[in-house]
Amino acid sequence: MTPDLPGRDEVDVTPPATRRSLNEIEAMGKRAARGVGLPWGIAEEAGKAARWLAMLGLPGAKHLADILTRHDTQRYEWLTPIVVDGIWRAEKGPLCPLITGAALSDLATSIAQGRSIELGETADPLLLTPYVATAAKLAACPLALSFGGTSLFLYSDMQRPDIVAIEGNQEILTSKDTRGVICRRSDGLPADANILPRLSELQLVVDAQTWDRLNAFATRTYAPATEASRLKGAGAGLSDNN
Amino acid sequence: MKAMRPSIPTVPLRPPEVVMRLARLGSFHQCRLSFMRTLLRRLKQERWTFDRPIFDIDANGVGTAVYSAHGPERSYSLVCFAHDLPPDQRSDRVIAEAWDSTFALFDGVPTADDIDRLSQNVPKQEAGRITSSELSLSRANRSVRLFDHVVECLAAGKQPDREKVEAVGYLMRTTAVYGSGKFGAVDREAISDRAEFKGPFQAEMLSVFLTRAYVLDLVEHLARARSPDTAVGVDPALRRRFGIGNSTGLGMAPFIVNHPMLLNNWIFSREEALSRIRGLARATADEIALFKEYVARARTNAEEWASEHPLQLQKLTMLKADLVHLEKHVAAGHLEGEAPWDRLYRWAESSLSIEGQEQLISLMLEPYDRLVDDLADGMGADEGAAFGIDGAMSLDELRAIVDDVYGWALSIDWTAKDNRARVWYVSEEKLEPRLGERFEEPIEAYEQPLAPARDAAAMAGDLDRWTGEPNAAAFLLVHPEHRHIARRAQIAKAYPYAEIRDNTIAAALLPIDLLRCKLSFFGATHFDPRSDRWVRINMFRDAPFPHEVATSDCDDWCYPAVSAAPAGSAAP
Repeated sequence: MTPDLPGRDEVDVTPPATRRSLNEIEAMGKRAARGVGLPWGIAEEAGKAARWLAMLGLPGAKHLADILTRHDTQRYEWLTPIVVDGIWRAEKGPLCPLITGAALSDLATSIAQGRSIELGETADPLLLTPYVATAAKLAACPLALSFGGTSLFLYSDMQRPDIVAIEGNQEILTSKDTRGVICRRSDGLPADANILPRLSELQLVVDAQTWDRLNAFATRTYAPATEASRLKGAGAGLSDNN
Repeated sequence: MKAMRPSIPTVPLRPPEVVMRLARLGSFHQCRLSFMRTLLRRLKQERWTFDRPIFDIDANGVGTAVYSAHGPERSYSLVCFAHDLPPDQRSDRVIAEAWDSTFALFDGVPTADDIDRLSQNVPKQEAGRITSSELSLSRANRSVRLFDHVVECLAAGKQPDREKVEAVGYLMRTTAVYGSGKFGAVDREAISDRAEFKGPFQAEMLSVFLTRAYVLDLVEHLARARSPDTAVGVDPALRRRFGIGNSTGLGMAPFIVNHPMLLNNWIFSREEALSRIRGLARATADEIALFKEYVARARTNAEEWASEHPLQLQKLTMLKADLVHLEKHVAAGHLEGEAPWDRLYRWAESSLSIEGQEQLISLMLEPYDRLVDDLADGMGADEGAAFGIDGAMSLDELRAIVDDVYGWALSIDWTAKDNRARVWYVSEEKLEPRLGERFEEPIEAYEQPLAPARDAAAMAGDLDRWTGEPNAAAFLLVHPEHRHIARRAQIAKAYPYAEIRDNTIAAALLPIDLLRCKLSFFGATHFDPRSDRWVRINMFRDAPFPHEVATSDCDDWCYPAVSAAPAGSAAP
């Protein structure tokens, strides 16, 4: 299936990009986040976050791979929010959007009741969006997430699931870090906001480099193959074929 | 969770503390609500038709076949690739790399281009890619005990030896059926609004149903190819005795732990069915007669159920004794009078083993299609809806859930080796799920989160020591290691049958209990453990074949016809 390249030894050449199902993106995302050392609860939410972005045709897998690469050499305590003069900041460097997103989602009720949360420097704020969308769904209340020149409006109910509308600078969606973010209740979707469509086919093309990076992290969660493991671990001997 | 229905008098559902024990879950039997039965009822009611647009297999058993199923709105096709597998490469393990036959369930009827694309990928299974035009990917291996024997007999113009057929029960067995977006297949969410896929695993069950047709056609074809002048087909009655085997192990075991809401809905539907029937004031003569017939057939089933595993033999001994006891009790007229089923169930609680009790429940459901079958609609789950943690929950409430759902786990000594002897992990080898020994192998670092009881006990300790704001958001910000179990606890509050009330990492754990629970909901029969974590089952044995659906009863095949009473037992 893979072409032999002239002048090379036979090598498995990874195709440049592959369609991945949302389930695959979520599963790989979860394992990769765990591989970097995040607790399972945070990791499974990270997988869901990548999936949610992919569902909207956004490069969730790539964003996740990027943030995990950064966190790989960092300590959890540096990245988690602490409140300094009413603003959420990380102990060291920008806030992690996965950890901070989870914390925002946990505050869905109080944000819906009017509490506004201000974040300081935050890495890749696009990754906050799935968590705030979850909060909007939990609280059955439209929420807004603003950073740079962009506002994202998030709402979800049975009739209109996963509504994401963008007002302002839409290129900001590819930004890495931002100096500040506000998360608050919204009165509703602004009339001129641009609603993102869901992918009609629940699959997303993911480039090989991104997938390989996630896979490298995910592989850390797999136990090495050993003879003992192969013989004992599955309970079926080596073949079981009668 | 509860479907909207006119109120029918019921007795309370059995509590989770009783139902959600591994010894009981590991004693479940198939019933009306099992997924294979739901499928077959639909195929019949909606008058699905079946054909075989391609059967292009050579004398060596190599080639391609397509089996199509046509429903009122859509068609689905099993695309089959038959291979010439050297016997020394045949293995049911996840780590296998070649198989006797490989399959994909295609959404529609495939074109030549589709088949070509699939031929490049499906035989590679996990090493290939499929697309959102495919619903599932699977493979099957021949039974070395039976396959060649059947081909030889048919080629010689004879029917295969009946005893051999009964002993094995299948010609081929699937060793994995992957759906839900794996390897590029369509995500469940993309098809779950189709009526035929509202219930869980319907695509996978359809795939196996069609695979069974292929396997019988294949042996008949090979017999004809070997001896065109003398070959015969399988006698129709004997044909039904072949199911599709399945060989499964730890790959499936984590499923019911990883899908708490789904597990709840399966269990809840069955418990609700039981409760409705127990709530009936009387049973009619017809209903009693039908029930007695099923008890007799269940006795035959137990007699025919072959296994060599000591654990299963013990269970079968109890089951057979229970069924004799049940038959006598019912013959003595105990189903006459008020609330017969409730009395019968309460009698069983003190008179039958757990295995017998759960068999009885399956049998009690049989006469009551109108009370039970609609509950199948509630067996799916929108798991995403319950995923978000409610950070506003007070810690008093969270702690109360822990007491209610995991209280039994708080008195376990989690430092004792036996109580955490096992580690669930994923091997680098083809990502095969395995179960290891924590204190004998270097695998603890790779532990998967499959021990909710232990995790709940750990969270309870930190909750008791907490001095910050008394809500989940504040607690979890400082204790992110408890997010996973906090989520599970919140799910369990809303979905009472979500959690298994047993230690899943104990030295005494029998993973086959987890497997049997899930497989019973599939509709599997003839559960045959090969170890404490590997099992063979039979699927669709005695069911009509696709070409028989239109003219056969499609809901009366799960128990065999009554055989002559075995020597030494009382006549029914």
